[in-house]
Amino acid sequence: MSRKGAAARRKPHPPAARGNAEPRPQRRAWALRLARNLVITAPIAMVLWLLVSPFLSLFVVKAAERMTRLAERPSVTRIELSKGEDALISRADTRAGGRLPYGVRVTDIHFPLVLLIAIFLATPDVSAGERFANLGYALLIIMFFFIIDLFFWVKFAYATQLGAWSAAHYGPFARNFWGLGKHVLDLPVKLALPFAMWAAFYLRELTGELFGEADR
Amino acid sequence: MAKRKRGGSRKAPAAEEPKAAPPTASDDEQPTRRRLRPEVRFLLTFIVVLGASFAFLAWKPVNDHVVEPFTGQIAKASGATLRALGQDVTRVDTMLRSPRFAVNIKNGCNGVEAMVILLAAIVAFPAPWKARLLGLVAGAVAIQLVNLVRVVALFLTGAYLPRLFDTSHTVVWQTLVILAAVLIWILWARRVTPRPVPA
Repeated sequence: MSRKGAAARRKPHPPAARGNAEPRPQRRAWALRLARNLVITAPIAMVLWLLVSPFLSLFVVKAAERMTRLAERPSVTRIELSKGEDALISRADTRAGGRLPYGVRVTDIHFPLVLLIAIFLATPDVSAGERFANLGYALLIIMFFFIIDLFFWVKFAYATQLGAWSAAHYGPFARNFWGLGKHVLDLPVKLALPFAMWAAFYLRELTGELFGEADR
Repeated sequence: MAKRKRGGSRKAPAAEEPKAAPPTASDDEQPTRRRLRPEVRFLLTFIVVLGASFAFLAWKPVNDHVVEPFTGQIAKASGATLRALGQDVTRVDTMLRSPRFAVNIKNGCNGVEAMVILLAAIVAFPAPWKARLLGLVAGAVAIQLVNLVRVVALFLTGAYLPRLFDTSHTVVWQTLVILAAVLIWILWARRVTPRPVPA
């Protein structure tokens, strides 16, 4: 979607809210309306997430299994969903001294969906069409991120969590790479991604004249 | 009120000029030496500061000598609040224990992640450094207050409604703390966005 097209589809702002003429109290009211909307959209997002969570977990687990198997020869990794929320990682060629299967809570990986849906739906002064289109793009990106995150969890488990088996199959660089990658993806990136995507779509709405038409 | 310096540390004159002239034909014909879009600039700075801050905090000496003691202070404040609420709580380092329940406050539950996200967003946003500093201090205090409520609420949930603890811990409170950080940033950004000069 082009920026021009998106701008054309936006709800018209009241005259005082356009560009440089927007007075400060009205601009602050935009933020307050966002906060008020969040009170409504956050519980809705949470209920939605709870409803789709089992299906989402299954999708993320199977997609991450496929991705892991694409990156290994022979393809020995299996990831099973247990109790609708735990990914059990195992290998066909070893039990790594009883350390496999290794469990990862998949719901911990995809819960930022709540934040993403809540904040995208709460943004004021955006038409429904643009709101859902932007949410759709953001959902596509975050789904891909969930799969990558679980993939890094699998490699992290192989490289650092299986004792002697890990030491025999992964060198110091690989252990640090997968360990750091998992840490970065699973804490800062996971928590910041919904906000970063929201900022990418709506920073101009927030900042008004600072990032105004002159920058377009 | 004195007129605020527009745009803070931003150097691009076009973005600082509130009344930019409409583009003309000659503007369109100029060679395309375009500045980064503001969103891209914001996101790049945000990602760099976020990554650098987390790398710094993950460094073992910083984690052992700064983050862990800080988490211990959070446990201390949470323990005091829980005792004020009538709970028989004792604290050992980052662990809170009562006859009914025990929690260990770890990285991810100390509000530091939310503070770092706020730091990265504030640094990435064009504003005067003084406003940034004030936003950071006030935002960090607000986030820690929300986090204190989180720890206390989670402890009480674990003690009296243990079946709800996991969902509450992972989904509800993590989301609320990050949402709090985002909202604080939005309110701050709206406040520091320069006031338009009347025509």
